[in-house]
Amino acid sequence: MQKSTIQFLLINCFLAIILISCGSVTKNYTPKKLDKTSYEVPYFKDSKTDYVYKTNITVYGHDLSGIFIAKKINDTTHRVVFTTEFGNKLLDFEISEKTFKVNSIVSELDRKILVNTLRDDFRLLLKKEYQIQEQFENESDDIYKSAYGKRDNYLFISKKDRKLEKVINSSKTKEKITLLFNSENDIFAEKIEIIHQNIKLKIELNYFKSE
Amino acid sequence: MKTKIALLILFISGNLFAQEQKMTAAEIASFKEDVNIVSKKIKTLSTDFVQYKHLDFLSKDIETSGKMIFKEPNLLQWQYKKPYNYSVVFKNGKILINDEGKKSAVDIGNSKIFSRINKLIIGSVSGNMFDDKEFTISYFKLKGQNIAKFVPKDATLKKYIKQIELTFDKEEATVEQVKLLESSEDYTRIVLKNKVINAKIDDSVFTN
Repeated sequence: MQKSTIQFLLINCFLAIILISCGSVTKNYTPKKLDKTSYEVPYFKDSKTDYVYKTNITVYGHDLSGIFIAKKINDTTHRVVFTTEFGNKLLDFEISEKTFKVNSIVSELDRKILVNTLRDDFRLLLKKEYQIQEQFENESDDIYKSAYGKRDNYLFISKKDRKLEKVINSSKTKEKITLLFNSENDIFAEKIEIIHQNIKLKIELNYFKSE
Repeated sequence: MKTKIALLILFISGNLFAQEQKMTAAEIASFKEDVNIVSKKIKTLSTDFVQYKHLDFLSKDIETSGKMIFKEPNLLQWQYKKPYNYSVVFKNGKILINDEGKKSAVDIGNSKIFSRINKLIIGSVSGNMFDDKEFTISYFKLKGQNIAKFVPKDATLKKYIKQIELTFDKEEATVEQVKLLESSEDYTRIVLKNKVINAKIDDSVFTN
């Protein structure tokens, strides 16, 4: 009898842990009345600016570095190029919310899974506007929930200076991708990190001013 | 009208010739010899460089700069100092990278492009490159400069580099600009300046 009680307790604890860990991203946040229905991201929206970043990519323990270049070429589309420090072009994409074109890619990187992952990452990074359905808050941030296909994006806007600091791309139960922004002037981000939770991939971008 | 067009064509083509003119066979021979004589004397070379990455869709070239050091027979260091620190050493068949203090190594065996570029850079200061069988070479002259253009024969290399242009100072017969064309619109231009030839350079410089 006692044995089965212990078993029962153990199973209950186990279930409780599973349930807690399955809880949505918002479990620690307090719901709040919606104060806006859309949010426009400032970081890659200027068509006159060349967005040039020194880049480090860590993928399953391997390091790759180079230069990430993004430029808004029309209302909907960004051109994205990744080169080595010497200037050799490794990939050249054109990305909008709905379209995707590979202008060129070196054969070493031409793997479908990699191209698709980078396409999705860059699309999220360059996304200019989010439609908001729900709002939450924690101590430091206002958090806006925005539907994104089968997933949701959570935008973290600091209460202190109203800057977009973080985007979490999440399924109903699990965080998949985190974007972190450091921005001094809220016009462009000097430092950006793209961190994947389900694969070992991290992309770090550091803005640099050409001489 | 016809005369006007003829004159216009003459004017335009005249202008083109003024910019860049094909060398004669005799000029090619003499240019090659000049470069060979100078390059045979080069034991070490250090130079500052400015790299301009030109992408057609950007409003401005991406400018980075640093120092290059070469020592016979095949030690080479490329060091970017601005706006970031990134240094690459080619040594004993390996590429040693120091990226803002983060170190790594690549076997050149796995990176044919790197090894070819390395060979070409070294070749361009040592004078061996005109015998390179991997390229079709053409020769041009400008005021005060000679230009050698290398078109890769190999299809794989051609995918990355459409053409390499080396610009030589006519007097010194040393390289002053390297231009790597990826396509007609996009290229990397590296300008070498403050060249110092045959200063004493210790092997220990080529560590990363």
